[in-house]
Amino acid sequence: MKHLKSNHFIFLIIVALMGWLIPGAGYFLLKEQKRAIIIFVTIILTFCLGIYVGSIGVVDPIGSKPWYYAQVLNTPAVMILGHITAGGSYPVYGRPNEVGQIYTSIAGLLNLLCIINAVYLAHVTDHNTEEVKFL
Amino acid sequence: MIYLVVLATLTSPEQIGTTPQSLLWLLPLVASIAIVYKATKLSTITTANFVKEVIVLFGSIIVFMLITALVLFVFAWLVTE
Repeated sequence: MKHLKSNHFIFLIIVALMGWLIPGAGYFLLKEQKRAIIIFVTIILTFCLGIYVGSIGVVDPIGSKPWYYAQVLNTPAVMILGHITAGGSYPVYGRPNEVGQIYTSIAGLLNLLCIINAVYLAHVTDHNTEEVKFL
Repeated sequence: MIYLVVLATLTSPEQIGTTPQSLLWLLPLVASIAIVYKATKLSTITTANFVKEVIVLFGSIIVFMLITALVLFVFAWLVTE
């Protein structure tokens, strides 16, 4: 029984980590392909649109830490962009900065919502019947 | 990883003025929020059902924001008159 519980806990962690590494991948593990594809495409497009509008300068781990923490929720790969922009070589000001930061950060927060929802679904899914219980 | 390499080439921002038209940038964001939210909430996703739900949520958010803007505008007008 203890062994089963520990396996279940590890599975939940894997679902969360996969959802963070690749947006929507947590649902893919739960065999929710449609949901996974919709979430992947939407979150990646939102993030890319933010970067397109504001440039990679909107990912700023030094000057705008709270936004950066939300942006990293998209995928840990954002930290690579943060490393590139950390020197302050890509300054962005005004409305493009606002729009870019809002888009990229909201994309990250939406991914957090998806990670939490995927973990919840993984937790409440009855693996004997594969029945998924929604909120 | 490939898309990050592409993104890393986007080093100069677009031109967006501080005009009323720049508020239209909220529309794609609201669409994203509606799509992701409905993707997490619907128990079964069919194209027709999903599109209908997303459009309803998208419209609700926009209408609510317009009402909020109108109320704030009237309040500001009353205070400054």
